Amino acid sequence: MGRRKKIVQECERLMDEPEHIRNIAIAAHIDHGKTTLTDNLLAGAGMISEDLAGEQLAMDTEEDEQERGITIDAANVSMTHEWEDTNHLINLIDTPGHVDFGGDVTRAMRAVDGALVVVDAVEGTMPQTETVVRQALREGVKPALFINKVDRLINELQEGPQEMQQRLQGVIQDVNELIRGMAEEKYEEEGWRVSVEDGTVAFGSALYNWAVSLPSMQATGIDFGDIIEYNRSGEDGIRELKEQSPLSDVVLDMVAEHFPNPLDAQPERIPTVWRGDADSDIANQMQAVDEDGEVVFMVTDIGMDPHAGEIASGRVFSGTLERGQDLYVSGTAGTNRIQSVGIFMGGEREEVERVPAGNIACVTGLRDSIAGSTVTSVEMTPFESIEHISEPVITKSVEAQHMDDLPKLIETLRQVSKEDPTIKIEINEDTGEHLISGQGELHLEVITQRIERNQGIPVTTGEPIVVFREFPRDASDVVEGISPNRHNRFYISVQPLSEELIELLKMGDASNDMPELERREALMEAGMDKDTALNVEHIHGANILIDDTKGIQHLNETMELVIEGLGEALDDGPLAAEPVEGALIRLHDAKLHEDAIHRGPAQVIPAVREAAHNALIDGRIALLEPIQNVRIDVPNEHMGAASGELQGRRGRVDDMYQEGDLMVVEGIAPVDEMIGFASDIRSATEGRASWNTENAGFQVMADNLQTETIMEIRERKGMKTELPVTVDYF
Amino acid sequence: MLTFVGLGLYDERSVTIAGREAIAAADRVVAEFYTSKLVGTTIETLESYHDTEIERLDRQAVERGPESILQAAATSDVAFLTAGDTMISTTHVDLRLRATARSIQTRVIHGTTAQAAASSLTGLQNYRFGKATTLPFPYAHGGDDVPQSVTETITANQDRGLHTLVFLDIKADREEYMRASTASELLATVLDDETVAVAVCRAGSPEPTVAADRLGALADRSFGEPLHLLVVPGSLHHMEADALTTLAACPAELVEPSH
Ligand SMILES: Nc1nc2c(ncn2[C@@H]2O[C@H](COP(=O)(O)OP(=O)(O)OP(=O)(O)O)[C@@H](O)[C@H]2O)c(=O)[nH]1
Ligand SMILES: [Mg+2]
Repeated sequence: MGRRKKIVQECERLMDEPEHIRNIAIAAHIDHGKTTLTDNLLAGAGMISEDLAGEQLAMDTEEDEQERGITIDAANVSMTHEWEDTNHLINLIDTPGHVDFGGDVTRAMRAVDGALVVVDAVEGTMPQTETVVRQALREGVKPALFINKVDRLINELQEGPQEMQQRLQGVIQDVNELIRGMAEEKYEEEGWRVSVEDGTVAFGSALYNWAVSLPSMQATGIDFGDIIEYNRSGEDGIRELKEQSPLSDVVLDMVAEHFPNPLDAQPERIPTVWRGDADSDIANQMQAVDEDGEVVFMVTDIGMDPHAGEIASGRVFSGTLERGQDLYVSGTAGTNRIQSVGIFMGGEREEVERVPAGNIACVTGLRDSIAGSTVTSVEMTPFESIEHISEPVITKSVEAQHMDDLPKLIETLRQVSKEDPTIKIEINEDTGEHLISGQGELHLEVITQRIERNQGIPVTTGEPIVVFREFPRDASDVVEGISPNRHNRFYISVQPLSEELIELLKMGDASNDMPELERREALMEAGMDKDTALNVEHIHGANILIDDTKGIQHLNETMELVIEGLGEALDDGPLAAEPVEGALIRLHDAKLHEDAIHRGPAQVIPAVREAAHNALIDGRIALLEPIQNVRIDVPNEHMGAASGELQGRRGRVDDMYQEGDLMVVEGIAPVDEMIGFASDIRSATEGRASWNTENAGFQVMADNLQTETIMEIRERKGMKTELPVTVDYF
Repeated sequence: MLTFVGLGLYDERSVTIAGREAIAAADRVVAEFYTSKLVGTTIETLESYHDTEIERLDRQAVERGPESILQAAATSDVAFLTAGDTMISTTHVDLRLRATARSIQTRVIHGTTAQAAASSLTGLQNYRFGKATTLPFPYAHGGDDVPQSVTETITANQDRGLHTLVFLDIKADREEYMRASTASELLATVLDDETVAVAVCRAGSPEPTVAADRLGALADRSFGEPLHLLVVPGSLHHMEADALTTLAACPAELVEPSH
């Protein structure tokens, strides 16, 4: 029997023992060493050869990943590891660190119960560290910490034991700050604080393949002095260290000991991610990780295999996946038949007979599923949608160069949005000019490049443009909307929603399909007053319709049309037909025709649309533009140039401080201005600056830029380049 | 002067002589056929019958931009035509009010309407009708298959022993006309399917069809070309019961006069 075959058999055996399974994700700021760590864990566990690991980044399998030296797609791997004389199955997801691919991190967190947060010892916690910790905690996923690149402290920074320990303590403290800030109860009471003493922190070098933790130091007797000693004595020293205290043993021991197994995790996680009836059979089966229960499979990733086609991977929360099962896919009608079932061995897919509850599985045949689908053997309440922290902020048009490719391009774009829900695709079959919106320039670049390379479709792309929103800044008066036949009237006002409520809606934490009571509580907790919360009629994007009317005859059967008209008004705002957000719309009164035919769609929709637009204008609606947090790390002598770059882009510098021998400049700037930042900052600082950006939501654009920008957008869209006369406030 | 002329129920010859004279005298003739339609004729036939050009207005032109009609009516004679009567189900009172507000003289020349036919062809007495209602195509309104207001109108009339005239949806621009059978089927989902109804088809044509039966039975029948309407009778006067059996072939066991 081949070695690989043996491992597969061992994995298959362990799949049935949930107490010996750990499902984890590795998450970190870009370049902090996630993939190097993953590779060496795999190599240490004997899943791939040591030569392949490390420097070659075996898990960055895509050509563009190798070229760019970054992870783009989250990668699933499985390995076995013996801890306390028992073999354990470790299902691990390596996630990308670049902020543009953060959607992969968000989705991975749904599949796992533990997050190994990696922090570069030299750089310390960085913006994306904070983001990934937040993503984990939002999903109820327990963190542990691996401080990486400790070799650099010794070899590059020449630190001694004292300095080193201080620095490591500093990183631990920073990470704990983050955890406490986002999940205080778990931090204080459930041991989610990471600490050396508890063994939930390990240090080491993913690249040189060694690591230590308090338990390992106690077992081996190696202390910080020894580590420095080994590192300073050349290759032999390092070989010695990695034999004495191998990375994979130390890290995987920590994983096995401190991350919950599915039996412990699922009872906690199910209520966080699923809003169905907690007393139902299916709830019990999921909490119990019942492999004989109904199948409940949450798809967190869709990938393409040149041979097998579309592959859906994700977490089996209950039941057992097997070939030939006909399963329901949330949000679609009918069922899909499972063609094959597999797990990830090393980085490769390995078909197996069955994958029971508690594991990460990959299947083919679920053609209707998207990343985020709930797939089940009985129809049931789907899991909470996986909302990514940031919405798409930048858009590019793509067009096929050859007529023949038109259908294939559309098909490819549809596939792209199935695989990556943080992308928004607008297909325009009439003009052939489709729009892709994503998280950043790189995101769009990678996607269009993949369309050209992998699908062989030459495309022409437009210049990137940012996504705008429209937002009412003030409360409006009550505005009357009259139907074209003048037999129906609607009385509507708007007011801006608070930031907290907007955030709540954007994260899907109050939605139309939630039980009313629960939604009301969420809204009130975010600051909505009770009377308003009682009258919530509908949620549209980050906008809410409140029905303040009382006992109006026929309104109930007209409400769907009111909602439709409002939807149209909000999707295409009055200024530049950009989406409206943050509007609380109140319906105060309505006068309706007796007969349904005279209050049909042709009457109600335009009346409501017009009233909503007029009310929004009365509320001094204005354009919002996306902004980014920017952090620049730069040597002192280039600091002026670096902060100048930021300020010159309608940006704002919020903080400047020293960290090690570098200066850190922090601030914000509009995404629009940040297009092309990479090359400008490079030339301004002779290539000495490193920088990070992170989408930070939307902000009202300065009044003196509003009209010009609105006209640009209107012109691009082929609209009249003229504002409604009532817009007289810019 | 703005003259509202009802063209009656069926074809070019359903207009009254007064209506015809008003059309002949007009400087400009406009018509809207989106709310209803004369199914027995075409606009070309109408034009040659009246020997005049007829401008067909869409909903937009009547509801959103009646300016040009009003302007013309301020200085010349404009005839505004609809099927049936211009003021009954087609509800053009709004246009008349706008004209009056501008001191434009208006007058109404009646045409006979579905409301009259419903009573006249069935023998159900017009004194005993309650509120009327329109049954829309399920896709054309926001609610369930039958709007609650339709059901409520019928049952409220029934409770008071009154008949209900149910207009059936017309989407003239899409050439879609709800049939009595479809309507019966829809109503059977919300009313008792033993409920008796009367289908009135092609009123105003040389061969109108009038048929009374249970909703369930009407749903299975085919009544031919449009337009159709439905009447849901309330309690029956003995003359009405006789009329339904004699004129609408109502199965005898379904009609028990209550007084
Ligand atoms: N000196 C040193 N370099 C390391 C170590 N771990 C990783 N690196 C280097 O850091 C760089 C980034 O490593 P990756 O493993 O690709 O980092 P990553 O976190 O997966 O990056 P993204 O997936 O793009 O976010 C590579 O050049 C690695 O060789 C380490 O322990 N010590
Ligand atoms: Mg990586």
